[in-house]
Amino acid sequence: MSSHLPILLFLVPFFMGVSMPILTAKRRALCPDITLGTVIVMVIVAILNLRFVLTEGPIEYALGGWTAPLGIAWLNDSIAAVIALTISVVSLLTIVYGRVVVTTGLEKSVPYYTLILIMMSGLVGLIFAADLFNVFVFLEVAALTGYALVAASGGKALVYAFRYLLLGSFGATLYLLGLSHLYVATGTLNMADLSDRLPELMTSTAVAAGLIYIFLGLSIKMALIPLHSWLPDAYANAPSSVTPFLASTVTKVALVAWVRIEYSLITPTVEVSAVPVLVLLEELGVIAALVGGALALIQTDLKRMFAYGGVSHIGLILIGVSLGNDTGFAGGMFYLINDAIMQAALFMIAGAILHYHNASTLDDVRGLGHVTSPWLTASLIVVAIAMVGLPPTGGFFGKWNIILGALEAEHYVAVFAVVASTLLTFGYFLKVFANWFHQPQAVEVKTIEVARELRFSLGMASFAIIALGLMSDTVVQYLLESVSRGGI
Amino acid sequence: MGELFQTLLQRPNFVVFVILFLWGIYIMAVHPNLVKKLIGLYIVQTSAIFFLVAFSAKDGATVPIILEGAAAVDPSIYANPLPHVLTVTAIVVQVATLGVSLALVSAIYRKFGTLDEDELIEKLK
Repeated sequence: MSSHLPILLFLVPFFMGVSMPILTAKRRALCPDITLGTVIVMVIVAILNLRFVLTEGPIEYALGGWTAPLGIAWLNDSIAAVIALTISVVSLLTIVYGRVVVTTGLEKSVPYYTLILIMMSGLVGLIFAADLFNVFVFLEVAALTGYALVAASGGKALVYAFRYLLLGSFGATLYLLGLSHLYVATGTLNMADLSDRLPELMTSTAVAAGLIYIFLGLSIKMALIPLHSWLPDAYANAPSSVTPFLASTVTKVALVAWVRIEYSLITPTVEVSAVPVLVLLEELGVIAALVGGALALIQTDLKRMFAYGGVSHIGLILIGVSLGNDTGFAGGMFYLINDAIMQAALFMIAGAILHYHNASTLDDVRGLGHVTSPWLTASLIVVAIAMVGLPPTGGFFGKWNIILGALEAEHYVAVFAVVASTLLTFGYFLKVFANWFHQPQAVEVKTIEVARELRFSLGMASFAIIALGLMSDTVVQYLLESVSRGGI
Repeated sequence: MGELFQTLLQRPNFVVFVILFLWGIYIMAVHPNLVKKLIGLYIVQTSAIFFLVAFSAKDGATVPIILEGAAAVDPSIYANPLPHVLTVTAIVVQVATLGVSLALVSAIYRKFGTLDEDELIEKLK
């Protein structure tokens, strides 16, 4: 029974999402509660699954009992289990938060909650899928619901959602093209099979073209600079209740899909005219980390600033996983988990400021530290410390391991990029705090009270960030172990 | 140069794929009208599906169903079912994308009264 946990994790939100219109036909008001209940069940299943993987080791789940290479395989390894748990927890926090901060008209909207649940099932599928075509299908499930969610509140967001759709679907098509190239060259789509057959075919142009198509397609999905242009506009205009969820999941899970492909197919010895491919990927990460940080620094809109911050972190994670050693890889994956929670917390704070103070730009938040709830200020400080990467938060240990990995590989450009992006992050948070604690002209102290749900979400997110930092040794060791056991 | 043309002419399917793919990208990039951009996207997606069909085509092959009691199975007379299954799934995904995008386009038209990208950018400011 326990071995069926991954499929359960997928089916619970999918089934509830599809049956939402029937369940709430009589009572519309039940939507948020049903969604919340489903996500709580998901968190429990994800914890059980993690425990199962910890005790039993990684297993390959054969859908319908048809084993690979004939059937469709799902890989339930420690990285998938950890990320599935992260996604479930982040969904829980953002849905609790969405009960308070929600755009008018969406509170009891059946399609809205259906989309959220179906998106979760798509993300879970994407995390576990060990088959290139399965990745494509789940990528599209998550993306299509994502376009609709960005546009959920109407207005300006419609146009940005359309742009997201145009670029996202183009990326998916490139991915499809890439996987058909690999299929032509190898005759299989299963990642384990591919990693057996590909190394001797690496000189073939079809394989190289396929991998490039796949990387381009997925880099649109993960918003890797310079293919990030859809992200800031879409996130800045999407409904406040949707952005934390999207920002913390979609790009990260697309990156996880790429990491699976990269880790099983591209070894440090794979070269293009004497330059190792991993180094090329790492340099792309370096560019993304630096340019993303610099672009965040010049923004005046909070949501756009945080969105660019997320873009630069994608670069950092790509650096970590492309260093070609275990330390960097574990650091990258650990940073990915942290980043999911940090992005959720940041956008929850930005949404809450918009909800309570109607403030969205740096000028709007001037002097807000004196009037706003201490919950918002405290959680913003915790997230800022984590984003900059100071101990004892998880962000520090992620960056630390990436730097250690880079030193081990003697890639000093990567070290420089991590440090420089840290400074850039520090720069834009300095701008936020300079305005936040600015002495107001007229001293009228009226602290507002934030809702209980919001306190729960922000408190839990801050707690998770610090707890991940304190337990970083265990988690990193565990990720390292799973890498060396040939998990992923 | 002559050799290149010869190789290209031997693979007309793939030439058609390249033409469709680039044509679709061109339409997506150049036309300001959102519906035309969608048509471009649709052509790009169709070109990827065309690629899948092109390499899986097999002359004189039959459906891969093995009748009960058949003697030795000769794989050379059957078509490979997998690319065709992929094609069907990709078409389903394409149709779903088209549905969402048309819904978005009609919502944009109702909200802004135009589908021209330049006018939309003007109105968004």
